[in-house]
Amino acid sequence: MDIFVENLTQIWGEEPDAVLALDAVSHHFRSGRLTCLLGPSGCGKSTLIQIVGGIEEASAGRVRIVNPEQSDSPPARPGERSVMMWQNLNLFPWRNVIDNVAFGLEMHGVARRERYQRANDLLALVGLNGFEYRPCNQLSGGMRQRVALARALVMDQPVLLMDEPFAALDAQTKIVMQEELARIFERMRKTIVFVTHAIDEAILLGDEVVVMTARPGRIKEVIPIDLPRPRSQDLVNTPEFGRLYDRILHLIREEVLNAMRQQESARVA
Amino acid sequence: MIRRGTRKRKKERLLVRLLPALSVVAFLVIWEAAVRLRGIPPIILPAPSSVFRYLGAMIADGSLPYNLGITLLRILAGFAVAGFLGVVVGVLMGMSRVASRVLDPWIAALYPLPKISLIPLLIIWLGTGETYILTISVITAFFPVVISTYSGIRQMDEGLVKAARDLGANERQIQTKVIIPAAIPSISAGLQLGMGVTIILVVAAEMIGGSNQSGMGYLLIHYGQVMETEKVFASLIVLAVFGGIIIKIQAAIDRWLAPWAMGKN
Repeated sequence: MDIFVENLTQIWGEEPDAVLALDAVSHHFRSGRLTCLLGPSGCGKSTLIQIVGGIEEASAGRVRIVNPEQSDSPPARPGERSVMMWQNLNLFPWRNVIDNVAFGLEMHGVARRERYQRANDLLALVGLNGFEYRPCNQLSGGMRQRVALARALVMDQPVLLMDEPFAALDAQTKIVMQEELARIFERMRKTIVFVTHAIDEAILLGDEVVVMTARPGRIKEVIPIDLPRPRSQDLVNTPEFGRLYDRILHLIREEVLNAMRQQESARVA
Repeated sequence: MIRRGTRKRKKERLLVRLLPALSVVAFLVIWEAAVRLRGIPPIILPAPSSVFRYLGAMIADGSLPYNLGITLLRILAGFAVAGFLGVVVGVLMGMSRVASRVLDPWIAALYPLPKISLIPLLIIWLGTGETYILTISVITAFFPVVISTYSGIRQMDEGLVKAARDLGANERQIQTKVIIPAAIPSISAGLQLGMGVTIILVVAAEMIGGSNQSGMGYLLIHYGQVMETEKVFASLIVLAVFGGIIIKIQAAIDRWLAPWAMGKN
């Protein structure tokens, strides 16, 4: 699915306290690619992904989600062909693993047998066999991530939206989950929009890194990542990775400093 | 060396676990000694040994089991009605803005009112029979259940609702599959508070006005009036143990209903 974001503007609150979160953002998230949205905190990257996912409504601008093979059919509504994986996962704590994964299918009226079958397939894909009937609060952080990933993938939507899903993980688990996601992406070739504030994560996972500015959120630069797939953590030691890292770091540093200056002046005012 | 270390620790742990029992035993011994050594008349303060003798007799002649059974039935009836109404009204208020707007002033005004103060009015309206006891306990237990249920729904994690909607849940499914399950820990907490006040109000109503001359409240007031202090104490002990058992059972039900919320509330 190609996602065309056109002049998206988001204003939070009312005048005179209104905050411009997104300022006329336009971008084409290409079908079958993994695009990373990178930026300092508060740059509106979460807002952007939530608008694309139909969770929030934009103040202005539009989102067109079209199938490149049927470009004459009407575009999908935001959220219609996508599923979100949340920063804080939002697993249902009263449901066990399999009933969390099968939640979406249950809501769509899929019979128990079939939805358990499909949930089991996805649990196998993310390496959670044998944990089907565990309560979610007994799982480690990395396993909970896998449950959330399986819960999103089971919906079989062409677009997967990921809002800093690995931000809260410890460094080792994070590496494992990144490799896992890269593997699943290479296998399924979904259109993925991945929000992150970690530069290495963005390079490792992305086909393209969209660097955003501090508030108001605009697109500062789009950096294609032409590193070969399948990718693994070993890439981190290559000179290409280092060059990309330095380039993005330079862009981001400016924006982080901008964001800090903004906070500073807000405090003075 | 290591073995001795663990054995020592085990011993300490055993001691800590026995502390509650030891504390009770020590209290009884001091009580008994004080009564005997100072010759306090049993009508003022009977010795625990004679309290237990009376307790045995009251169990044997059936008066304790009978009255405790009656009180238990009244508590369960009041709790069931109040729990049902409280959860239904609380859910209604949580789901519907209109309902919460309409009911809010009533709950805000009536919740802080000491429900015992309604007893004279209720006796005028309902007499002193079972209806009166049931009504006063229902009125009292209703409020904590409503308020907990309502606040549990209001304070729920918006993220779960968003996630459910993103996964294709419609509004009705969000209510039944997300909001209500998420509120179960608070509903359960409200039911526990409700049970506590039901016990209090049933016993109080049996003491004040209950014309059927039955129940633990009646026993207490009756033996108090005829100055059978040993029996007053025996009834109190039974009531305390009974209350403790009910609370424990409720906590167990709570753990069973909402194991994910343990350590959160």
